[in-house]
Amino acid sequence: MESLKLPKDTMLGASIVTITGDREAFIENYKGIIEYTTESIVLQGKNRRICFEGKRLSIDYYTNEDMKISGSIEAVRYV
Amino acid sequence: MLHWIQYIRGYVTIKVWGYSTERFLNLCGNHDILVWDIVDHGGYTTMNISVKGFFALRPLLKKTGTKASVLKRYGLPFFMSKMQRRKIFVAGFAGCMIFWMLMSQFIWNIRIEGNYTLTQDVLLDYLEDKGIRVSMQKKRLDIAKLESSLREDYDVITWTSVQLKGTTLLISIKENEMPSYDRNDQAAKTEGMDLTASRAGTVSYIITRSGVPQAALGDAVEKGDILVSGAVPVYNEDTTIRRYQFVRSDADIRLQYPESISVKRDILYEEKVYSGRQKKMFMLGTKDKEWDLRWGSINYENYDISGEKKQVRLLDNLYLPIYYGEKTVQEYDMVKRRHTEEEMNEIMREEWNKIISTLEEKGVQIIEKNVTIKKNSTNWVLNAQMQLEESAVSLVPTATQPVENGDGADGEGTEQAGAAQ
Repeated sequence: MESLKLPKDTMLGASIVTITGDREAFIENYKGIIEYTTESIVLQGKNRRICFEGKRLSIDYYTNEDMKISGSIEAVRYV
Repeated sequence: MLHWIQYIRGYVTIKVWGYSTERFLNLCGNHDILVWDIVDHGGYTTMNISVKGFFALRPLLKKTGTKASVLKRYGLPFFMSKMQRRKIFVAGFAGCMIFWMLMSQFIWNIRIEGNYTLTQDVLLDYLEDKGIRVSMQKKRLDIAKLESSLREDYDVITWTSVQLKGTTLLISIKENEMPSYDRNDQAAKTEGMDLTASRAGTVSYIITRSGVPQAALGDAVEKGDILVSGAVPVYNEDTTIRRYQFVRSDADIRLQYPESISVKRDILYEEKVYSGRQKKMFMLGTKDKEWDLRWGSINYENYDISGEKKQVRLLDNLYLPIYYGEKTVQEYDMVKRRHTEEEMNEIMREEWNKIISTLEEKGVQIIEKNVTIKKNSTNWVLNAQMQLEESAVSLVPTATQPVENGDGADGEGTEQAGAAQ
């Protein structure tokens, strides 16, 4: 697998999370939204859930492949 | 860019509440319904969704057990439907725009700056002849041509600048401040000029500087008589005239003549007495026509109308061919009155002062005067017998013909103009 040098996200179905400062997060490759409140957003990845915690969280937009979260992000946890 | 597309296609802000908002969001994603700006407000969630997406929501809402309601509508489709309900407003707005666009194609005001000796009227008439007038189309105006023709046709104009500012045609000129070169003056040097009497009278003063005096002190002259001749004779040794040397006559000459003036003033007079009743009316019109807008008719027997006319303008230079103003109609009665003795005296004094000042303006001196006032029951008559003195001369080309056989070889004409008294 390593020697083929294929992108890991497509092969493993791994989620890519890009966080800009503590204001914006950009998530690709997720399966769905488990929970959404202003304090926490929980997303379903392939194997694990990704949990964003913070204040005044809102979803700028989302599609089937990616989503953008803005607000004051305090923690990202994988559960 | 994205905002514009969203605006053109239209979108709504909706409020979603119920059992599982997250499930509803997931289903939206799965059905390719785009939602954005999702904000949780605790009990409910608000989000933006396209109009098309909103109509596809119904089955999803049913499935997830959530409810949705529209909070706000944005975008062109909503704006258009709103405007459809206000057809007249839209038509008026469009009509207004078209009106302004059409009107701004014309010149509605001509302003001339920098003219001192050339009057506004002269220049406006000149422009009119050139086909440049208020209400002409802007595109038919050739600015460069107008600038150069102004300079060509008027010698005093040394600089021109023509500008179009909005609907105003602004013509700035500079006039030559140096006194103009008189061509006639030049011509006068080669031909003789006589001084003639411009009215009948007696010569009371004569000092000749150039030319040959033809009248002496105390002579009675008629109008047109030559007082100083511009033809100075050059004699041969046998005292015959060899030829004439032509000069421009120059002399101080004063003529005295009698003059009688009589002024009659009635004691009875009519005076306007305003009754205090007046009406205001609004005026609307074009440059030459006016329409009065008023309530009812004017039933006054005698009335004065006064008012002011203004041109409609937008901004500084955008004039329109519409004029407006307010007029006041004031009623008056003609009342017959009698002047008192003192008033009549005052009137007569004023008349006399008027006579004196007009004479003084003309440069006429009063040598002698005998003023009498005749009083009647109906009028007073002022009679003035005066002896006036005035420099009543005019310069005309000499009538004397050059001597035929006179050859030009006369050496320098040293003969001087004779001077008398």
